[in-house]
Amino acid sequence: MRIWLPPVLLAALLYGLSVGMPVLEPLFQWLQPDKQTVIYDRESFLFLLQNHLLLVVVSAAVGTFMAVTGGIFATRPSGRDFLPLVSQVASIGQTFPPVAVLALAVPVLGFGEAPILIALILYGLLPILRNTLAGLEGVDPTVREAARGMGMSPGQILFRAELPLAGRVILAGIRTSVTINIATAAIGSTIGARNLGDPVIAGLVNGNTAYVLQGAILIGLLALTTDSLFEALERIWDRRFSPQAAV
Amino acid sequence: MLVTKPASNVMVPNRVIPALGVLALVLVWLLDLGAIQPNRIVPGTGHGLLSAVGWLGAGMVTLTLAASILLSLFPLRLRYPLLLGLVGFSLAALPLLLDVFAGRHLPEASPYARSTIGAGFWSLLFLLSLMLIEIVGRLRAGRGLQLVLLVVIVGSWLMLLRGEGLASLSLVREFNARPDEFEQALWTHLALAFGAVTFSAGLAFVLALKMIRSPAWQRPVLGAVSFLQTIPSLAVFGLLIAPLGALSSAFPALQSLGIRGIGWAPALLALIAYSLLPMVRNTFVAITEVPENLADAGRGMGMTERQLFFKLKLPLALPVIIEGVRITTIQAIGLTAVAALIGAGGFGAFIFQGLGQAAMDLVLLGALPTIALALLADALFTMVGDSLKPTPATT
Repeated sequence: MRIWLPPVLLAALLYGLSVGMPVLEPLFQWLQPDKQTVIYDRESFLFLLQNHLLLVVVSAAVGTFMAVTGGIFATRPSGRDFLPLVSQVASIGQTFPPVAVLALAVPVLGFGEAPILIALILYGLLPILRNTLAGLEGVDPTVREAARGMGMSPGQILFRAELPLAGRVILAGIRTSVTINIATAAIGSTIGARNLGDPVIAGLVNGNTAYVLQGAILIGLLALTTDSLFEALERIWDRRFSPQAAV
Repeated sequence: MLVTKPASNVMVPNRVIPALGVLALVLVWLLDLGAIQPNRIVPGTGHGLLSAVGWLGAGMVTLTLAASILLSLFPLRLRYPLLLGLVGFSLAALPLLLDVFAGRHLPEASPYARSTIGAGFWSLLFLLSLMLIEIVGRLRAGRGLQLVLLVVIVGSWLMLLRGEGLASLSLVREFNARPDEFEQALWTHLALAFGAVTFSAGLAFVLALKMIRSPAWQRPVLGAVSFLQTIPSLAVFGLLIAPLGALSSAFPALQSLGIRGIGWAPALLALIAYSLLPMVRNTFVAITEVPENLADAGRGMGMTERQLFFKLKLPLALPVIIEGVRITTIQAIGLTAVAALIGAGGFGAFIFQGLGQAAMDLVLLGALPTIALALLADALFTMVGDSLKPTPATT
């Protein structure tokens, strides 16, 4: 149970702050004496948090599905021709700055949630794809041979041997992807997403440091919560699939 | 690491290029190649391939793509060099399509009218680039050839974009409206990104040495730098505003140096913080992973610990350290664009200004150079890293 303690505590803090930000009004009033309103009130923080989470979860789910499917395809005999190109694209694509990808989505798709979601999916699937390829290619060929020798079909080999062995690396890819996407989604509020980036951008535009701080603290907490969640998941994975590694 | 196996037999038909080629054909005929806007903000009317460049242009595009599909299917010995020539030339000549498009459709009477690039053109550019990457991979072309290709294609683009025919292109107009600002943005962007990388490289080196000398430092240092990396950039920029703002109002001398809650100072600080993780990790791993038997050999030759470090460990560790510099630089170039939100300048300023004014080509004027800088840094440091490797490079 101790593994789950950090994410649960952080999530509780995140939720508590999202609901109870107005309680801290005196503090922000002290920080920002020259402003009338010091608590961001155009949307509730909880609504912004929900939107932020939804964006990240949906893009991570779709991105993971696409990247893992693509990675499996490129490492099967039928798709092997595509492997060099796919792995090149996965590594070249990651040199594209996320902000630039976000910015490029707007001329094509317009403002709002759709371009952000698509940019997040496309950009987020690159680290997952890269890790899926690395994980599947990293499976010891003798394991595959042994599985075939036991009479497993190609599908069984994939789902019972290769994917469980590659899973830890794929999970690390999803962690990287989600970390990047939480940050990129926040910047997405400049193109019309309503999420925790909003208070920061509104504060920067109006010179209201209190808004900026409220947004920044919640975004930071969200990132830490998610990261500690993945930390816990990785530990559990280690414990289940490689008992000697989980010391 | 990924091991990619190039096809051992050149005569096997290639399936990747036909797939890309067919997709390119479909997209280029389905999507708009470009649009004509009456002025900067009003959305324009789109034109498909046929309407945009006429039968001749559409025919040439179709023929080129069909030729590359056929060529990749036939078991010719010279297939890949021929494909390289065909696809490379098409990429270099691609802006001519926009030139023809503007010539056919731009109303001469209105000085504000401008042509913009459509999704069809972007798809064509993207898929042709993928084909080129595939061909270069199959040919196992060396760095020299890759560099020549890059110079030819980029040179041709720059020449065509500066020419008379594309002066009406919206992107070119946005640039021509602010050449000085563009240059200023370029220097600010480079100064911030490379300033942060240089500073963090020095700091990371010191930290890595400290971690090697006293292992008790390893966990806290690595923990701290990966904690910094986890916090989203917008949050870090935001969190730095209040303390730096307070600092500058407490010490007015700092204000005259330009250190305020917004501007270059918090941007540089945040960029340094972000750069520390890849730098520290790579430097530390690089130095500690120099094989111990090599160090023993050095000791046997009578080297002092200092000589051992500077003459043996550091040169051997350098390629991995450079890899850290590469990752850090790419990341810093991207984050500098975000730093424009707190008034640090650079290409990000065009992006966010363009988003604010709904002027899409101003967004492009910020986003495209940012991507170009990142790709350039990637190529540069990959090359430097490869040239420093003591043994022949292996994949």
